[in-house]
Amino acid sequence: MSKKLYQVLQDSGVPLDYRSCGTPPEETTDREVKREPTPRAGKLRDLYYQTLSSAGNEFPYWYTRKYMELDGEIPVVRRALALKCAFSHLTPTIFPGELIVMGKARYYRGSFPMPWLSEGYYMSKEDELYQAALDKGSSSADEVSKFGSGGGNVVRNFGNVISIAGKFGIRQEEVPAMLRVARAWVGKSVDDVGHKYEQMVPGYDIKEAIMKSVVCMFDSGYTLPQGREVINHYYLLQYGFDGLIVMAQEERAKVAGRADGDGLVGMNRLYNYEAVIHVLEGIQTWVLNYAREARRLEAREEEPVQKEEYRNIAECLEWIAHHPPRTFREAIQLCWIVHVAVLNEDAISGMSPGRLGQVLWPWFQQDIEAGRITEEQVLELLECQRVKFTCLDCFASMGVVGGVLSGNTFNNLSLGGLSWEGAPASNRLEELIIEAAINCVTTQPTLSVLYDDKLPELFLLKAVECVKTGAGYPAFVNNRVAMEFLMHHYGPEDMNLEESRAIAIGGCLETSPCSWMLLTLNGKEYPIPGGSGQPTSVGVHFISLPKILELVLFDGMDLRADLRVFPSHGKRLETYEQLFEQVKTYFARAVEVLSLANNIQHDIWRKNNMAIFNSLLKPDCLERGHLINELGYRYNATHNVETCGTVNLVNSLAALKKLVYEDEEVTLDDLREALRENFGFKTATEVGSYSLVDQEKKGGGDLYDRIHYLCLTAPKYGNDDPYADSILKEWEDWFCAICYEYESLNAWPYYACQISVSTHAPMGAATLATPDGRLAGTTFADASLSAYPGTDRNGPYALFTSATCWDHSKSQNSQMNLKIHPSAIRGAEGARNLLELTRAYMRKGGFHIQYNVVDSRMLRDAQRSPDQYRDLVVRVAGFTQYWVEIGKPIQDEVIARTEYEGV
Amino acid sequence: MEQTPKNLDCRNYAPVDVAKGFCHLRKEIVLADGEACDAFEQLPKCKHCAKYTPGEEAYLGTCAASPTRPMTYPDLIGVTCEWFSWKET
Repeated sequence: MSKKLYQVLQDSGVPLDYRSCGTPPEETTDREVKREPTPRAGKLRDLYYQTLSSAGNEFPYWYTRKYMELDGEIPVVRRALALKCAFSHLTPTIFPGELIVMGKARYYRGSFPMPWLSEGYYMSKEDELYQAALDKGSSSADEVSKFGSGGGNVVRNFGNVISIAGKFGIRQEEVPAMLRVARAWVGKSVDDVGHKYEQMVPGYDIKEAIMKSVVCMFDSGYTLPQGREVINHYYLLQYGFDGLIVMAQEERAKVAGRADGDGLVGMNRLYNYEAVIHVLEGIQTWVLNYAREARRLEAREEEPVQKEEYRNIAECLEWIAHHPPRTFREAIQLCWIVHVAVLNEDAISGMSPGRLGQVLWPWFQQDIEAGRITEEQVLELLECQRVKFTCLDCFASMGVVGGVLSGNTFNNLSLGGLSWEGAPASNRLEELIIEAAINCVTTQPTLSVLYDDKLPELFLLKAVECVKTGAGYPAFVNNRVAMEFLMHHYGPEDMNLEESRAIAIGGCLETSPCSWMLLTLNGKEYPIPGGSGQPTSVGVHFISLPKILELVLFDGMDLRADLRVFPSHGKRLETYEQLFEQVKTYFARAVEVLSLANNIQHDIWRKNNMAIFNSLLKPDCLERGHLINELGYRYNATHNVETCGTVNLVNSLAALKKLVYEDEEVTLDDLREALRENFGFKTATEVGSYSLVDQEKKGGGDLYDRIHYLCLTAPKYGNDDPYADSILKEWEDWFCAICYEYESLNAWPYYACQISVSTHAPMGAATLATPDGRLAGTTFADASLSAYPGTDRNGPYALFTSATCWDHSKSQNSQMNLKIHPSAIRGAEGARNLLELTRAYMRKGGFHIQYNVVDSRMLRDAQRSPDQYRDLVVRVAGFTQYWVEIGKPIQDEVIARTEYEGV
Repeated sequence: MEQTPKNLDCRNYAPVDVAKGFCHLRKEIVLADGEACDAFEQLPKCKHCAKYTPGEEAYLGTCAASPTRPMTYPDLIGVTCEWFSWKET
């Protein structure tokens, strides 16, 4: 029988399931902190667990119908009217027990495609989907209940439900219309128009090869044109819908026909204000439609408590559809409406609510003081809000939703940090937000503590208590390092110290520029933070660093795809320096061609598909009369270069340097052959799995055992070993600097962004074996600074020293995941130890750390019996996800990570 | 022949997902394609509208509310449609 990888590693003394700092208890240990939400939130969460991810056609139908009527209209007004029509026609659905209402679509966990961004997928699947729609369906409870495993993903057709990409279900009777709507966008979508022009970029053939060989993961211009940014609630909280409409009408009158010294886009302000008014009116109608539905339900309801709740919902919506909120309940509902409206405007992942506990503080403080609400009621609202956030789905292109995002939507809520004056900004409401996250563990919103030494100990210990639930949040983010990055990168756009203190995290881990806005409530002033930058989900996303190295070793050829990606470098790579230089050369070439093509895609997006609602929320669009496409935002230098597989690159370079160039234990040719032959293992395709644990040796595949052993035992990042760490430092110093040599369409430089999301699985799947001993097709190390599973053997502090050998403030982020056994942080002493561990990393200059508190044996059991673990969550890269909704390669990678038994 | 109404065609049905929903009257989860009960109340959809004309292709039709007679589909919900009017039966 073929040997499995884990047996080979065990025999080599480098086992996969490595445990550091002790041994776990004999019995599988559950997480220490386990609480229950309020009955109301619990019921709503249970309903979520039973809910399938469902797509509808209402929004795309009405958007397309209106858009196509308006040929010849000014693009921004045309888009605004299409959005207005779509929002106005969404069917409202309210479920009993909900306190916070409204959603993306009429389903509990609803979403919809946006073919104006890209229709290619539907067209390529047109026949298949159409035939599926025509097939006579049947349905039964049995069929429905089969979909328990896989969470809410609709993994195949059943009954009258058609599966799209194994994720979303759509009703059979809506499919032909969905396809007809998609067809209307052929040649008009951002994807199609962008493709027409991006082909004019010199070297476009390289870009195509890069995408085919999965050196790069996706084009952001038509997949996720917005996101990984922080929303701004200020304008609607301060002025309300009516106030903003009046403001836009007044500004429209002031600028009509006037260039005011700007011959290029000065005149556009008229059309922009007109567009703003239409979109606000559309969203207002959407809110009022929900109010009417609440009134209808109230009229029919006989149960007095539920009847009153419908009445309260109606009254709340009827007020905030026009006016600024008066109470905490109205304010939290309005913030939710703003959030969903932004998400419905575009395909967005990572729209963060920002420092919501500080934004909502004025209403919380005044309502509590006046006795209008109790903390228990606030807690219940916060738990209900968690369920609403978790119901959000993102319907982007298929490879993005599955391969990159693992179905996550990354609504990151930031906590703590500093006030504009430099005082600790945490407050009682933020403690309740953490409490709600402890009671009601869900994937959204994820939480990030903006760590500063000034933050109160009790607040930080509350955060640690939440970590002990195993939810993977809050992540700890270094506030000082983030501010340094903002000051450095956005300094040329006038970012100053005070403003940098408004920082919040956008998406899973993107340091985002924010601003303080002075809110007035009942005559009292409150500076509240909110996003003021363009999306940071945009740019060159993601470049696979191990794949770049592979192309260097094989002279620009992708052997897996039998495809020439880069022109031959023709070098014999006789020195390590020559090798490393060629890695940089290919990387730079990839960024060059991808950034140019990307600029074109985003330019098409901003010309035809610009954000209107999100724009009007951001300073200083309303004041200037310019939206995102005319750089109306306060900060516009947000395009970045994202990488994946940093640690595998570093470990591979360390192995090459040591084994080939210094010790001459292996020739480069022999190593190349071993990589081509996957160190004597079968290919992942042959095994039928891309998971680490499933890899098997070929019969007679012992030829490369010696080389494989040398590669596995070569110096590795994560052990405070200067040999590997110096390579990481050289790479980071070069990479963070080189990004500034590329210019975005906004005429600002790119910068470095280092998160993996889920790309380490598909990118690993497309990469041969690597010189660090990793096998072909298997996942890379996750995040950017997590050690490769099982290779960090000197404890967490050695890992921290390795990780902080370079200046993290030169990059938008860096990412570190640690897996800790629940028993290692048990009790009050364990909590203090975890806080001290976190503090140690922050003080060393680490940007980010987060913890998976879990017994790996529980994860293995969850793989065997997924139905028993519907609510089990784990942390992957920068997000928390339900175990049953992530792919097996990522599951295996999480299991394989080093488990720390003590801290 | 008139088809038996389904739950998803009822005004009291709140769709949880593509397969099931909540019945506001019975206060329980019911299957979308399940047979509606005696309290069934028709949810307005394009196929019930006076301005709707069925097309030749399955699940497609046109809307006469606009001079261009745009494409629509029979199960598009008309609750928020300003042009919806019940077809005379």
